[in-house]
Amino acid sequence: MSIDAPARTGRGEIEPANVNTRRSSGFLGGVSHVVLFVWAVLIVVPIIWIFVSSFKSNTELFTNAWSIPGQLRTGNWSRAFSEGNIGRFFLNTILVVAAGTFGTMVLGSMAAYVLARYPFRGARFIYFVFVAGLAFPVFLALTPLFFVVRNIGQIPGIGQFIGLDSYGGVILVYIAYSLPFTVFFLTAFFRTLPTPVAEAAVIDGCSNTRLFFRVMMPMAKPGLISITIFNVVGQWNQYLLPLVLLSGQAKDKWVLTQGIADIAISSSYRADWPALFAALSMAILPMIIVYVLFQRHIQAGLTAGAVK
Amino acid sequence: MAEVAYVEASRVYPGNPPVRAVDKLSLQVNDGEFLVLVGPSGSGKSTALRMLAGLEEVNEGSITIGGRDVTKVQPKDRDIAMVFQSYALYPHMTVAENMGFALRLKRVAKATVAEKVREAAEMLDLTAYLDRKPKALSGGQRQRVAMGRAIVREPSVFLMDEPLSNLDAKLRVETRANIAALQQRLGTTTIYVTHDQVEAMTMGHRVAVLKDGLLQQCASPRELYERPENAFVAGFIGSPSMNLVTASVSADGAQLGGLDIPLLRGAETGAHDQVTLGLRPESLRLVGADEPGTELSVELVEELGADAYLHGTVAGDSNQRLVVRVDGRTPPRLGEKVRIGVNAADQAHVFDPETGLRISD
Repeated sequence: MSIDAPARTGRGEIEPANVNTRRSSGFLGGVSHVVLFVWAVLIVVPIIWIFVSSFKSNTELFTNAWSIPGQLRTGNWSRAFSEGNIGRFFLNTILVVAAGTFGTMVLGSMAAYVLARYPFRGARFIYFVFVAGLAFPVFLALTPLFFVVRNIGQIPGIGQFIGLDSYGGVILVYIAYSLPFTVFFLTAFFRTLPTPVAEAAVIDGCSNTRLFFRVMMPMAKPGLISITIFNVVGQWNQYLLPLVLLSGQAKDKWVLTQGIADIAISSSYRADWPALFAALSMAILPMIIVYVLFQRHIQAGLTAGAVK
Repeated sequence: MAEVAYVEASRVYPGNPPVRAVDKLSLQVNDGEFLVLVGPSGSGKSTALRMLAGLEEVNEGSITIGGRDVTKVQPKDRDIAMVFQSYALYPHMTVAENMGFALRLKRVAKATVAEKVREAAEMLDLTAYLDRKPKALSGGQRQRVAMGRAIVREPSVFLMDEPLSNLDAKLRVETRANIAALQQRLGTTTIYVTHDQVEAMTMGHRVAVLKDGLLQQCASPRELYERPENAFVAGFIGSPSMNLVTASVSADGAQLGGLDIPLLRGAETGAHDQVTLGLRPESLRLVGADEPGTELSVELVEELGADAYLHGTVAGDSNQRLVVRVDGRTPPRLGEKVRIGVNAADQAHVFDPETGLRISD
């Protein structure tokens, strides 16, 4: 329904009821724009401030927090990169988030697809178990999680790859942590896909696996991309889980958030704020880039043309 | 190519009481025949088709294609192709990929698939659109792609589930003729579901009328029109529908208003004081004052150009509503009272008022 074009009666008069809805939606539209603007400012200004501050010297920073840096001190960035070990943490994060998101998407989309489109006994129960995971506070899970992962590390052979202080352990926990929302979101999404297309594929000779990978998954692309972005950002910013799972002895496996926290903690003595802001900028930039790149691929109505 | 047979096939949805969407359907479709399943919504016509496709379970009875029992066979192994009402094209594939998908799944060589897709595209006038995605096509083009996808597979049976209902009226009439011609040319057994009795009459070699999951009659369009087996078929087939009125029976025949309608030879009306009388709008005509007839007050005039249809009530009995076909050039006006009579006695159909079954022969 369009709110731009007022509905007209047969005689060309504008119906009073429609004028009212139009006026109120215009008012609401104005309010929502103000709210959105304030919100955008609240988010954008600190990010820009961090970015600008990362080129300042300590003195400049404390003289006037809002000043423009006198010169581009890229040394802050290189110092963060080398002394703060951000380069290493950066690679670790990419590895862990890539594997974690990939695993989440593969497992989550398959689980959601089956839950959404194949009626079987216990389907609702399994779905609700996943959804219950959403309501489970992560702090409550930390201690048991620590012991579970530690015990898994005792498994002979593969234990060292999936236990404490290993990439595998973090990746598995990330996947488990991301699955509830992924399944919740994708189940709803798969339910909206047109059934006749699936039936046509079955008649055309698709097995269940082929139906999923060659027809349903491509149709679910907008949903899959949205939830992928969500998971990448979520896992990239994860701090608590790696803090518990990657101890100080495994500093070579730390992720970005831990590295930044390390700078912040040690800087309380050396007070290297510009390096901290440089490290923060390095952590934020990839997420903005990922978001912009993926966002282009979300095409509303990708299923347009499938039916009708 | 193959013949298709439903043998007492039923689809029962569990519930209390269970819903028999298709109830003991027995139907024989010959090789190369174009059979239309027609009925109002909820008549089970689509369900019957989906049972044949393997998309609905067959709870009782069986279904055979080419003499092979396919009741428990997977849809992909039934050698059928289906055209859906919504077309169900794959949105992420081009027209060519859509049409060749089934063959690619069967691991047919790429060149062969391309060749067959090209042939089908020529047949359907789609050659220029092979590289487009479905969303860049018009409704009529999408419909043709859906047809092409079925043709490329060269199946033994085509199943079509209301393939024209998403097209506009003009295109529908055009495509209707095209599909019928295409079927004639390919000679593939086709089962076609529609709720539109005009489509059914114009396309089908034979038409099966369903109501509430029960087969009412399966016959050629002409026979359905001329000799409906019951009052439901009589009222469903034909546009505008047959006048079905309750008339009392006397020695002279049936009385409708002041009009005596001599009943057909062999009509066994002895047990009934009243019968349901079926009169097609074209069986009625305007008559002069000296001819036998009854008065009709005109309540609505539908002018179609060549013809006009009068809707009105019989004088003295406002419950008896009739539709009369008259010459389109000089139709009576609204509110006018006209005198109507019956064309020829043998054009009245007589049905049992309780069971609705045909009494006249």
